[in-house]
Order: sequence, then structure tokens, then C-alpha cells
Amino acid sequence: MNEMGHLERQRSRFWRSGRAITGLAILGFLVFAAAFAPWLAPHDPYEQNLQARRQPPSDQHPLGLDELGRDNLSRLLYGARLSLLVGVTSVAIAVTFGGLLGALAGYLGGWLDSAIMSLTDVMQAFPTLLLAIAVIVVLGPGLTNAMIAVAIAAIPTYARLTRMGVLRAKALDYVVAARAIGAPRSRLLWRHILPATLVPILAQATLGVGTAILEVTGLGFLGLAAQPPTPEWGAMISQGRGAVFAAPHIILFPGIAIMLMVLAFNLLGDGLQELLDAHSA
Amino acid sequence: MRSTVTRHFARRLVLLLPTLVGLTLVTFALLRLIPGDPVRVLLGEHAADEQVARFRAEQGLDQPLPAQYLRYAGDLIRGDWGRSIKTNLPVTTELAQRLPATVELGLAAMAIACVVGIPLGVLAAHRHNRAADLLSAGTALVGVSIPLFWLGLLLAHLFGYRLGWLPPSGRLSIGIEMASVTEAWNLEQVCGGPLGPVLIPIADVASNFYVLNSILTANFAALADVVQHLILPALTLSVVPLAIIVRMTRACLQDTLSQDYVRTSRAKGLPEQAVVLRHAMKNALPPIVTIVRLQLGLLFSGAILVETIFSWPGMGQLVVDRVLARDYPVVQGIVLVAALVIVVINLATDLSYIYLDPRIRYE
Repeated sequence: MNEMGHLERQRSRFWRSGRAITGLAILGFLVFAAAFAPWLAPHDPYEQNLQARRQPPSDQHPLGLDELGRDNLSRLLYGARLSLLVGVTSVAIAVTFGGLLGALAGYLGGWLDSAIMSLTDVMQAFPTLLLAIAVIVVLGPGLTNAMIAVAIAAIPTYARLTRMGVLRAKALDYVVAARAIGAPRSRLLWRHILPATLVPILAQATLGVGTAILEVTGLGFLGLAAQPPTPEWGAMISQGRGAVFAAPHIILFPGIAIMLMVLAFNLLGDGLQELLDAHSA
Repeated sequence: MRSTVTRHFARRLVLLLPTLVGLTLVTFALLRLIPGDPVRVLLGEHAADEQVARFRAEQGLDQPLPAQYLRYAGDLIRGDWGRSIKTNLPVTTELAQRLPATVELGLAAMAIACVVGIPLGVLAAHRHNRAADLLSAGTALVGVSIPLFWLGLLLAHLFGYRLGWLPPSGRLSIGIEMASVTEAWNLEQVCGGPLGPVLIPIADVASNFYVLNSILTANFAALADVVQHLILPALTLSVVPLAIIVRMTRACLQDTLSQDYVRTSRAKGLPEQAVVLRHAMKNALPPIVTIVRLQLGLLFSGAILVETIFSWPGMGQLVVDRVLARDYPVVQGIVLVAALVIVVINLATDLSYIYLDPRIRYE
């Protein structure tokens, strides 16, 4: 019984790191594709060839042509840049503001804590995509605004996580000791407390990039984020929608690309999360 | 014991008040944050100047913001949620038509997710069965990574258009009529007494839940049609909760299976099925219920995309339609209703813990 438990643990640990490594490999591939898009793309992503609309994959165009006869592979490569950039930036904004709010709430406590937590409570009562749409109603549609909207909707998650981490860290022996010898507040917070909360936030943020990409591409699909002719993956699927019967390849590849990128962030985030659990256990 | 339950209930209701104020403050602020004059935002760009002036005075929109908020909150309580710019119908009427469609879709999706997800999670946790393990891990991973709108398009294309097995859009075939529950049961005559004003509105709302309606009116041709329309969108929407439920069930059950009392019940010779399903599941259930609740709330985000793809006439499709049409009073109403539904779900599940987890009763 015990023997098997041990074996089981070993195997699952292997799986964990296997997940993280797989995620990292896929992500590396996508980052490479995004970074070198101008050199890798066989054609101009905006160049139209109306005579060859909806052409299926061929030697010249490995992933075929879209509604307006643009090269799908080239658009996909440029789209990788947009999705990566938008996903990571959106989470960075959410972590910055959420982290700040959470740190203030957890560290100072009192009425400020109650106020900030009530605010996050209220924000979390709204479905995230609906909250993002509400923000877009105010800011207007567009890729940058969609990115900001998704970031705002994610702030409560990071505020709560940071607050919890700060509360836990405040009780750690070395932090109590540092306070006892009279370390100034700012030093306590920046040097001792925040570093201790960093890893769980990093794990959550990695998963969060995947979610943000799904939300921004979803908004793009609805016509609320990137506008044509931007080669954004969600918008590409939206534009190929009318041709789904005649030319399914137009929507097939952007969808696979989105899934692959989100999968990579999820695998990586899971890996981080589980290593973290193993570490604390 | 009853008094602690009542007190628990009362405390939860009191805690609800600040949340409701917060929610309405957000929707109140929404209209004022949209660039431009809020009156123009409410009446649309094409409203005449004198109409704007009259509306401003009538609705008290020339008063300070706190007074405006109080008035807004009062209107909400009285059931006056404003009028749609696009259709000129009361917002509440539009929402009453659309909300049941979304709730029906959401419940169907959650039912699929639970019926498939919990057994799969149990199999993966219990037997160290490689196939179930891989299947559950794969489902858990792909489910949270796949773009719903893309999956929906593929399913609609494959099963709807290519194979022609299931209708790819809408909620009902042309030519099939839904009866009204009130008429079918002759409620207006049966409930002449004091029950009438209570029962008839309930029956009217129930009429908009097509599955319920077709069962209540014994309209089985319609039931078959309704269920056929429901399958593809519900399947698409179920993917995310399915992934999370599989994962949680597996993790929670594995956790409880390793506890001493499970070993004891095995040692005393209980059949394995009883150990897992009766003893271990009982303790694994509360966290699973929590997850189901969180997912119910999150379903609305998915419904926005799924309803758009399958032309499902619910609130998700409505919000996209009206954002593009700048019909802000309706958008405001949808945002508020969606949040209220989540608040009610949270309240209901909180109270269900009293029965699922007896420890709460003795706190």
C-alpha cells in the first residue's frame, strides 16, 4: 500500500514537470513564430488576391487563402504577435493594480481592507466577459480597449490572491522578527512580505494569460476588439464564419492556434502551481 | 438547531444589502461613464431636443448625482428599468423574454457537465485506471483551453450543416408553436380566488422555459424539437464546467479516499462501491458543489459567445446585439440581471451547505 503510494507520487511528480516542460516547449515555438513573423511569413498578411478567395491549402499557401484571398499562414504568424502581446500586457496590468490593492488591503487592514474587499466582491458578482463588455461600452471597441477591459475584469482575482499572501506572510517568523527589530514599514513590505507572495501570483498569472487570450479573441470574434483588416485570431474566425461550409480551412487554423497558445499557458501554469503545492506540502 | 439555521439565513440576507447597493452603483455609473450626455445615452442619438429636455426634467437627471442614484434605485425596486432605445419596449419585458432561454441553456449545459464530469472524475480517482486517468486529464486540459466560439462553429458546421443531425441554430423550428401554460391549464378560470394573481405570473414565466412548458402542456412534438435545438449549444457551453468538475471531483475524491475512515470502512468489509459512493463521496461533495456554483456563475460569459453562434435568443445574444446598436438601457439591465442571478445562486448554494455539511449548523 505504502509502496504504491510512493510510486504513485513519483509518477505524478514526473507528470507535473512533464506538463511544465511541454507547455514551455509549445510556448517557445509560438514565441519564436511571433518574434520572427516578418521573416517566416511567406506573404504580406494584408495583401489581397480576390481572384483566389477561399483557396484551400496548396504548395504556395500551406494554410490556404481567406475570404479576401489573403495568405492564412502569414496572418496567423502576425496574429501570434498580437495574442501574445495582448495576453501578457493585460495580465501585467491586472497584476499591477490588483497586487497594489491587495497589498494595501492585507498590509494596512482596517477600513481600507473592508472597502477594497467589498469592491472586489461587487466586481466578482459580474460575469467576467460581461464586465469586460461593459468596460468596452464605455471605452469603445478596439484591441487596446479590449485588452484594458479584460485586465480590469481580472483585477479582483489578483487583489484577493495578493491580500491572502500578504496576510500569510505577515505571520511568518522572519517577518515578525524583522518587525520586532524595528524595520521600517516600506522595507517590511517590499523586502520581506511581497517576495513571499510572488510565486502563487506568478502561477495564477500564467494561467491568467491563457484566460485573457481566450477572452480577447472572444471579444474579437464578437467584433468588439480588433477590427478588420487586423490579423487577430478571433477576428479572423469571425470573418471566416460566412464561409464555414465552402472553406472550413479559414476558421480551422486560427482556432487551433488559439487553443495551442492557451494550452501552453495552462500547462505551464499547472506545472508551476503543482510544484508550488509540492513545495509547501 | 432550527434557530441557528434561521439566524444563518437572516445573516446572509442582511449581508446581501451592501452587495446590492454596490451592484446598482456599478450599473448606475456605467451610463454616466459613457462619453456624452446621459440623457442622450438613454434616449438614443436621434432624440429630439425638446424630448431630451422633457426627459431630463421628468427623470430628475438635472439633479445632483446622489439624488439621481436614489431615484434610480427606487425605480429599479418599483420595476421601472427604463425603455429600450431600439424597440421602445420596457427593459424588464425584454429581459423577461430572454432570461429563461439563457437559464435553460445554462442548466442544460451544467447537467451535461455533471452527468459526464462527476463519474469520469470518480473513475479517474478511484481505480488507477490509465484510460480514465488520461481521459480525465485530457478533458480537464482541453476544456479550459479551447475557444468556445470556435468549438461552437465547428459543431454547428459538422452536426448541423454537414451531417444534418441536429438544428444548428435557433430555439424552435418554424411551424412549432409553444402553448401558454396559463391557457393550457385553464388557470384563469381555475384560479379565480386569491391564488390567481400569484400563480398566473409564475405560469407565464414558466411558459418561457420551453422544456418545462412542453412537458407541462404535454406537447411532446414540441419537446422533441426543443431538446434537439438545445443539444449543440448546451454541449458547447458545457465544455468549461465539465473540465473543472472532472478535475475537482478527481482531486477531492482522491483526497478523501486516503483518509483513515475510508480505510476503516474497507477493513470492516464494506463493499468497495459503498465505500466510494456512500462514504467517500459524502465528504468530497461540498467542494464539488462549490465548484458547480462558481461555474454556474461563470457560464454567462460562455453563453454570450455560444448564444451568438447558435442564434439562441437569450441574454448573451441580446447583450451583443444591443451593445452594437448602442441600446444602453438594455445593456445596463442585462449587466444588472446577470449579477443578480449570480448573487441569488451564491445565496442558494450557501444555504444548501447547511444540509450538505451539518457542521455549519453548530457554529
